[in-house]
Amino acid sequence: MDRWERWKQYAFVVEQLTGRELKRKYARSLLGVVWSLLHPLLSMGLLSLIFSHMFRRSIENYPIYYLTGYLVWQTFTLATSSSVTALADNRSLLLKVRFPLELFLLGKNAAAFVNLGWSFLAYLVMLLAFRVPVGLPILLWLPVGVCLFFFSLGLSLLLAAAFLFFGDIKHLYGVILTLWMYCSALFYPVEQLPAAMAQVVGANPLYQMIACLRGGVLEGRWPGPGELLAPALWAAAVFGAGLLAFRRLRPGILRRL
Amino acid sequence: MEIQVDRVTVEFPRAGEEPASLKEWLVGLGRPGRRKSRFRALDQVSFSVERGEVLGIVGANGSGKSTLLKVISGALVPTAGRVAVCRDKVRLLTLGTGFDPELTGRENVYLNGALTGYTREELDRRFPDIVAFSELEGFLEEKVRNYSAGMVSRLAFAIATAREAPGILILDEVLSVGDLFFRQKSEARIRQLIHGGSTVLLVSHSPGVIRQNCTRALWLDRGRLRLSGDPDTVCAAYEGGRDQ
Repeated sequence: MDRWERWKQYAFVVEQLTGRELKRKYARSLLGVVWSLLHPLLSMGLLSLIFSHMFRRSIENYPIYYLTGYLVWQTFTLATSSSVTALADNRSLLLKVRFPLELFLLGKNAAAFVNLGWSFLAYLVMLLAFRVPVGLPILLWLPVGVCLFFFSLGLSLLLAAAFLFFGDIKHLYGVILTLWMYCSALFYPVEQLPAAMAQVVGANPLYQMIACLRGGVLEGRWPGPGELLAPALWAAAVFGAGLLAFRRLRPGILRRL
Repeated sequence: MEIQVDRVTVEFPRAGEEPASLKEWLVGLGRPGRRKSRFRALDQVSFSVERGEVLGIVGANGSGKSTLLKVISGALVPTAGRVAVCRDKVRLLTLGTGFDPELTGRENVYLNGALTGYTREELDRRFPDIVAFSELEGFLEEKVRNYSAGMVSRLAFAIATAREAPGILILDEVLSVGDLFFRQKSEARIRQLIHGGSTVLLVSHSPGVIRQNCTRALWLDRGRLRLSGDPDTVCAAYEGGRDQ
């Protein structure tokens, strides 16, 4: 098989894996893909009901402020938490295949981003509904999306490999995600945080991505070079670490399948 | 020479010896120096297979048969020794084939096909053959969750053998399933593949299957190669050895 055919086959495999993920996700629901649009909106409605009055002085457009962060967060958690058991769940398949195991995690991540695509439609409708002027900075979603993708994929690789060695990673990651969510300023304004906390949140790559998008969408402001560079570096570092760890641990991974 | 297995040893840490969680690992850090005992699934196994041979592998449960297949197909890296084989030519067929119960038969054919190396065009072309061979007409839009065990293994067999002779076909306990008709049909299909030039490794703990289909046989006993030779001799020794 030459290189072109090989990559074509990889693409076919990832497409099939992604398709499976999406079919399973909506397997028993009547509304199916509509949930991908509805879910963020329901969440937005709820949080706005509770907090928009509380934060009305520091956040101008609370629903969009929340929704922007929520889409990033939802995609990230969906991609990574479904990846934790991705290898372990596919034991019997993995023993038969002859392509990189990384493709299984690529499939999980791709499915989460297809889901983001659907949610994004709901997002656009909400931008219109709340009369947010849509300008060119909305294109920031593209570079930020790329950062988010590689950051999630890198972390997915690390988690899936680690889970084969340490079964409690799954529970631990659940706890970490909760903590991480509170450090991502999804539903509160960062300005009111004490200085030490603000630094933690500022160093959080997910918050950095969310902040870029909020600046672009809500204020029509392009980020400074540092603002976009920081999450890009995070993504590159985590993706690199994930690939490297996966290569290094490969014999151990295979033995534990 | 199609497959060369050279002094292959595979060791596993005994269950419970290796930390299975972060907690156990952290606790283990406090008391280092404990000797780890390891379990040998395969011990210095060597043999080679010529092109077109049908090699049967017999042995009781836990004798290392599946481990050997995993090493040959590349799913497992041996602790010592080496295997020379062209991995692109190997096709492995086992029971419990990793179908997704929530997907339909058709979706599983494409998913499984993609994973085992079929291109989309190939699958489109072979799909009718796969359906016909597995005798599942009318069930393809049904979820695999609702299939019987026989239907699942028929579909798995049909997917794995739908292409012209793969270079090396590895069958792990698949000939002894299905009803009588399907067994005859699948054995006929295996014979067809053999005549097409495939090299076949056939694993079974039923000596009858080995006698009928193989040109040569190996007997694995607790990870060691006990005997290799013509199927009748090896199967007789295996049956005799088991009684002792």
